[in-house]
Amino acid sequence: MASSGNKNINAKLVLLGDVGAGKSSLVLRFVKGQFIEFQESTIGAAFFSQTVALNEATVKFEIWDTAGQERYHSLAPMYYRGAAAAIIVYDITNQTSFDRAKKWVQELQAQGNPNMVMALAGNKSDMLDARQVAAEEAQSYARENSLFFMETSAKTANNVNDLFYEIAKRLPLMQPASNPSGMVLVDRPADKATGASCCS
Amino acid sequence: MNETEVHDLSDDADYATSIQQSSGMMRRSDSGKRSSSSDLDGAEIVYTKDNVAVHPTQYASERISGRLKLIKQENSLFMTWIPYKGQSSSSRLSEKDKNLYTIRALPFSDVRSIRRHTPTLGWQYVIVVMSSGLAFPPLYFYNGGVREFIATAKQHIVLVRSAEDGNVFLVNDFQNPLQRTLSSLELPMAVSGSNVPCTSLPASELPSNAHQENDVSVGSSERFQQNGRQQQKHHDPTRDLSIQILEKFSLVTRFARETTSQIFRDSDGFSINEGEKLDQSVPDHHPITASNESGKVPVASDPLELDKLSLAWGKPRQPPLGHEEWTTFLDSEGRVMDSQSLRKRIFYGGVEHNMRKEVWTILLGYHAYDSTYAEREYLTTIKKTEYETIKKQWQAKVRTDRSFSFYDGDENPNVYLLRDILLTYSFYNFDLGYCQGMSDLLSPILFVMGDESESFWCFVSLMERLGPNFNRDQSGMHSQLFALSKLVELLDSPLHNYFAQNDCLNYFFCFRWILIQFKREFEYEKTMQLWEVLWTHHPSEHLHLYVCVAILKRHRAKIMGEKMDFDTLLKFINELSDHIDLDATLRDAEALCLHAGENGAASIPPGTPPSLPLEDASIYPQPDDDIL
Ligand SMILES: Nc1nc2c(ncn2[C@@H]2O[C@H](COP(=O)(O)OP(=O)(O)OP(=O)(O)O)[C@@H](O)[C@H]2O)c(=O)[nH]1
Ligand SMILES: [Mg+2]
Repeated sequence: MASSGNKNINAKLVLLGDVGAGKSSLVLRFVKGQFIEFQESTIGAAFFSQTVALNEATVKFEIWDTAGQERYHSLAPMYYRGAAAAIIVYDITNQTSFDRAKKWVQELQAQGNPNMVMALAGNKSDMLDARQVAAEEAQSYARENSLFFMETSAKTANNVNDLFYEIAKRLPLMQPASNPSGMVLVDRPADKATGASCCS
Repeated sequence: MNETEVHDLSDDADYATSIQQSSGMMRRSDSGKRSSSSDLDGAEIVYTKDNVAVHPTQYASERISGRLKLIKQENSLFMTWIPYKGQSSSSRLSEKDKNLYTIRALPFSDVRSIRRHTPTLGWQYVIVVMSSGLAFPPLYFYNGGVREFIATAKQHIVLVRSAEDGNVFLVNDFQNPLQRTLSSLELPMAVSGSNVPCTSLPASELPSNAHQENDVSVGSSERFQQNGRQQQKHHDPTRDLSIQILEKFSLVTRFARETTSQIFRDSDGFSINEGEKLDQSVPDHHPITASNESGKVPVASDPLELDKLSLAWGKPRQPPLGHEEWTTFLDSEGRVMDSQSLRKRIFYGGVEHNMRKEVWTILLGYHAYDSTYAEREYLTTIKKTEYETIKKQWQAKVRTDRSFSFYDGDENPNVYLLRDILLTYSFYNFDLGYCQGMSDLLSPILFVMGDESESFWCFVSLMERLGPNFNRDQSGMHSQLFALSKLVELLDSPLHNYFAQNDCLNYFFCFRWILIQFKREFEYEKTMQLWEVLWTHHPSEHLHLYVCVAILKRHRAKIMGEKMDFDTLLKFINELSDHIDLDATLRDAEALCLHAGENGAASIPPGTPPSLPLEDASIYPQPDDDIL
């Protein structure tokens, strides 16, 4: 269980996606191993952290869970700025949520961190009867856009931990030959760098 | 010709001083390039409009008129709006009000978007939203000219119409892609090779070409526009309607399920949600106290010394108002004899739970203070019928649609109640619609009132105050966050400066507090207590903003000492949930409010939500409303 590597990495991760897609549920499953049938809808954003131990290193995810409603979209950039990874969640029983996921992907590609690891999660995979989005469709969309794709269920826990582990492995700093330009991982120094953002 | 314009400009003393002062608190870090010299030779007025007014209150008669200008200097465009001297339409509007609203040389590099409203009836206006997320109050064009205003601006700056909303124009959309408007996010994001640097990085770590953000070619903006136009597919109103209803429905049920199942799970209703609030479960959570020792760096001391202030001003809280005492406020027929002292009493102690059903209807303004028992009973009956009528509107539509069958299997009857009320409300107030957060506001009301129609009407009354929180353009939230920033500036300037230096001036970390009135910050009983206190509008109808200040001040040493940046601050604030001492906070808030006095009131632009319902003449002097 314990990390045998010597690296400790903090990585900011943001969850984006439509109202009710299951963002908070995925986090809750990952962080606390729980599932709540009546998950409270998120207002603004919520924060969690959870550590993943890989062979080479320990990755502490700083997870931002955002509110899905369109009306609060303007808040999202505050949460995804500087993120090392993003999980874009849709609900496989809801075509609209998939359309919305695509918009999020576009937005992140245009203005997120170019080295950001992006994962597409088709959630509620336990509800096969009500499926509206074919796994193949999502898979090929993901391939075209260089996303990492999984179908998950926060309810049954299927693929939830795997999702986060896969993301951890793909973080640039985890790659042997990565360029440590520092932008991807938010390893916040105690003393904030001066200059760039200081006014007056 | 140019000379007259320059002459005109130099005549304008306000402008001359203001361009040197820059735009005050809104000033952004990267705007230092703007001219700070008093050399105005290069300035050219490219647009002037007279009779552009701000409506500080809900009465159109109370307006401050002034002159709006667009001024070009070197390569920058500035906007000024200077009120006319000594021409208030009403004596209630002081010079202070004028100063509050004056826009001095606002550089467009600080502007995020302009929203235009051109209603067929009524005055045209625009809302200017800053990059910081704050917005100026609407500017009403009494002589028309909104189109010209936008067109002129477009000649000098990059102005792109939002694909999502044709009335929103995005300014400098490429300069800081991280600060986009609600609507801009819907644009097809196809800016090729936009290697956008992370803003939190020091400049030295950026690739050298990252600074060339101003070089975004006009070509790409045109492409944006085209894409934008394509996106504006023609609307089939009936289709829109049904989609909207569908969407609302799915939201409503979810929220309904989630909220009521928690509220009504326990018979007494108070032991809700324990351990379900995610925020409190963060592993490395320290119990939060108002400690001063936690700071790692020296922190500018609190100019007010909140503890002493609270002792001096904030009165001790009292036990809640019970039945016996309640009756002493009523005459034999049930009228509240002295609404002010009643409100004051409730402010200091809240209401016993079994009295809430009766008291809340009056506090919220659903029943008038001077109504009798009989009148209230009568109104209740009338309103029940009215409610049923509104409800039938959607019931007819819904029955025909099969997709709603997914509610089958939901057994909690309160789920249906909550859903029905919210859905009916979205028909009652179609403009506002349904949004996330409304169920948070309704659930305590439903819990107290029990009855469907009564809950609905109390919710309607509450939304008269809080409805602007849910405005699509976020103007209600913006104006409250703006007022909050003004109050912190007034009551704790070191903290204000800290926020300014750390890009936290948008105060979005207080978003949840304000949007749903601290509903998620306190346990259920405390929330109800806080709400009835806020509804008294004693000692200020904006006490909730002083509550925000009070909480922030209690933690100022930690915030500044640990050098929290925006992310850390937001996390910290979210984690305060369930760790805020309500009584102490209210005492602080009262003390701050009294201490701030008129200066405090002057910091809050009139019209900032929640505004009182009109009929409460004891608080608002009757306006002579010449226009509406
Ligand atoms: N069957 C099933 N239900 C799920 C799953 N994940 C979430 N849900 C349910 O879907 C609903 C919405 O889940 P949330 O986690 O609140 O969704 P969200 O994306 O955080 O929504 P917002 O915060 O409103 O943006 C809740 O009722 C969950 O119980 C899943 O994997 N399977
Ligand atoms: Mg959520």
